[in-house]
Amino acid sequence: MSAKVLLHVGTPKTGTSHLQDVLFRNRERLEQHGVLYPADRFDAHFLAALDLMALPWGGLQAEAIGRWDALAEQVRRHGGTSIISHEILATASRSQVGRALSSLARDDGTEVHLVLSVRDLVRQIPAEWQENVKHRSTVSYEEFLAQLRDPARSSRIASWFWGVQEIPDILDRWGHDLPPENVHLVTVPAPGGPPDVLWQRFSAAFGLDGLDGLDLDLEAERANPSLGVPETALLRRINKAVNPVLDPPDYRPLVRELLAHQTLSRRTRTPRLALPPDLHEWARDLGQRWSEEVRRRGYDVVGDLADLEPGPPPEHWADPDSPRESQVAGAAVEAIRALLVENARIRSEEQRLAHELHEARVALDRAHLRPAYRVREKLLRGVRRTAVGRGLHRVYRLARGRSSRPA
Amino acid sequence: MTRPDPGAARATAWVTHLRAGGTTPWAAWTGTTDGPAPRVLPGAQQLELLRRLNEVGAVPGELAERVLTASAAGRGRPDLELVGSRPPSEFGPPPVDPADLPAEELLRVAALLLAEDLASADAGPGGDPGADDLRRLAADAARRVRRRAAWRRPWRTRYRLVGDPWRADVLRRDLVARGRPPGGRGALVLVVADDLATMLADLWTDRCFSTGVAVPAWGTWLDSLAGARRVARGADPAAVAARWARGVGRDRVRIVLDDRALAELLGVDALAARPVLPAHAVELARLVSGALGLLVTPEPGRRLMREVLLPRLLEQAARTGGPPLGVPPEHHRWVHRRSLRLRDAVRAGDYPVLGQVEDLVSRPRVLAARAPAPAAVADERVLALAADLLLGRSGPDAAGPGQAGPDRARQEEQA
Repeated sequence: MSAKVLLHVGTPKTGTSHLQDVLFRNRERLEQHGVLYPADRFDAHFLAALDLMALPWGGLQAEAIGRWDALAEQVRRHGGTSIISHEILATASRSQVGRALSSLARDDGTEVHLVLSVRDLVRQIPAEWQENVKHRSTVSYEEFLAQLRDPARSSRIASWFWGVQEIPDILDRWGHDLPPENVHLVTVPAPGGPPDVLWQRFSAAFGLDGLDGLDLDLEAERANPSLGVPETALLRRINKAVNPVLDPPDYRPLVRELLAHQTLSRRTRTPRLALPPDLHEWARDLGQRWSEEVRRRGYDVVGDLADLEPGPPPEHWADPDSPRESQVAGAAVEAIRALLVENARIRSEEQRLAHELHEARVALDRAHLRPAYRVREKLLRGVRRTAVGRGLHRVYRLARGRSSRPA
Repeated sequence: MTRPDPGAARATAWVTHLRAGGTTPWAAWTGTTDGPAPRVLPGAQQLELLRRLNEVGAVPGELAERVLTASAAGRGRPDLELVGSRPPSEFGPPPVDPADLPAEELLRVAALLLAEDLASADAGPGGDPGADDLRRLAADAARRVRRRAAWRRPWRTRYRLVGDPWRADVLRRDLVARGRPPGGRGALVLVVADDLATMLADLWTDRCFSTGVAVPAWGTWLDSLAGARRVARGADPAAVAARWARGVGRDRVRIVLDDRALAELLGVDALAARPVLPAHAVELARLVSGALGLLVTPEPGRRLMREVLLPRLLEQAARTGGPPLGVPPEHHRWVHRRSLRLRDAVRAGDYPVLGQVEDLVSRPRVLAARAPAPAAVADERVLALAADLLLGRSGPDAAGPGQAGPDRARQEEQA
């Protein structure tokens, strides 16, 4: 069987978390059908991407060291189809792409396929700003939009945004050496359609729908849910307050997971983030030029390029830089409630651990008070007074298989 | 390889020129080639960095290749195309004249290369014991002997160093090297302190010589402290002393503001001086530590930064000098006021002080005398230092002018 590598390199906010969750949870079933999803943990490909692209990520980079080479080795060892998926790969430079492709290919001519899932810019721009806010950013929506529209793209925000979103450029960098039929664009359907269409498209692009008897568990356990306007505004204010005092390892579970994903994302009746109506035309034009370029290059489109056509601008647009304060206050109360509940849980856990520790200490004290223990202790002290005795004790400990020092 | 169009042919020839040690800027380059173009041309950042290195001295071929194939570490602008090297495209970042790139962009590449050098300097266990390793083994053995000697002196003052982490780390290493490790029953808690501006600089420097967590630039870091109206723990001896006093009792806590008094208390000769680096050297350490954190875990990263990079930076600083870290004028007011509050808090705590408690105060005149250089000038200094270190690494292995460097490029051009 010839080796085949399916590289899904983006883009963010196109259902990638759900896809990666399904692939990770079903990796054993996939392997039974000859498809390798090489991951020992859910974020294995994220860490590998960080390693490949020399990207720091709130302290996670230490866990990423050597991850890409390890991933590539697993892929090279596997004879059949392998899948690699992470959306931040979209921003890899040409030299990093070169390194990635050469590390994955075996000498016998591995077939590399590139998969890029895409969504219209009108939905992607606010989603990316929200992702920034969920990663500690305090930049306003207005400033974010201004930086995106700067033709020089010299700011970090603009470099990152266009690096992971500009479809023709991503395909230039990743698909430079690939035949167009090996490049697959999966379009995200417009909102309101059947929920499983996107999965069917992914399944077709990865060739999973052609595998006889493959029954995947598609229940979503992980997702990257969206926030509304007041919730995102609240999060930005929280970032301003906590950034100087909360380190990334604490920010991630407390702010991003507990507050944003588990609490604020459940408030679905508040206004949704959207592109300002005056920027719709600009985004629509840009999207059309991208679609034309993709069509011209002859890539395989899974779905419909018409999905990249945005819907009409909303009738009532809510500005996240000037949200309704009553809605922000409502979100803040929800956030406080969640933090109090979590705090109560931690207090209860703390009390349980304190109780366990106390019991362990009492048990230890009891053991120390036993006459047999005290005799042994006295004997040992006597033996260890001499160098010979200490040496004998060491030999005894080694023989017993415990070489650590006593506490 | 494919036959290039005129723009790509010009760029390909320029890359060859730079590989040969050339220093001609892209805008002035008129050469071309009939040869095939490589699959991918290096980015403008990599090419400009190599050109700048060529201006400084002979660049060994291996280093030139590393520069050309390196990626910039961290987030920032992607590898950029040379303006005029290919037909205009409406997609991707706009191409640039590499001479217009800010030093900051070149430093992202240089920092990763320096970090790779540091990571490769970490031989780790199992390597062949070279001369350096043997020296290290001998030093370790000597240290162990001294440590044993210390155990024979039960009357020694036992201590624990806390407070200003940069100063405390240096003192601890010095004392450990003298056979005086910290800790022990009834150890005095010595809260190392200085004037607030110095402690802030020390705290930031200490973070720059650690890996694992991204460290913001000096100005950004101070802005965040000022915005949050707080000083970080390592620069707040009153808070540190209060915490330790709660744990071990006030009588075992000392605020240390005088090294001589500290040496007397510990019964040793003069203690090691605080390593003072120019501001641009600390900034380079910050960039390198960020990149090193991508290659090694925090513990060896910290060791490499302090045992390998720091001596090299101190050596360079002794040669070239440069102003130390200074507090920008917009922060003078709060630093002064905060230092007064700090002094008052230490007085109110009534802790024994080695030295004068007034030394905690950052005086406006002293702050003004240490005003930092403008950012652009500072970045150029950092880049020059990075270039020195990159080239210095090659040492005796450096290619002579016959193999690389400007002379060779000029000969090629004449030919």
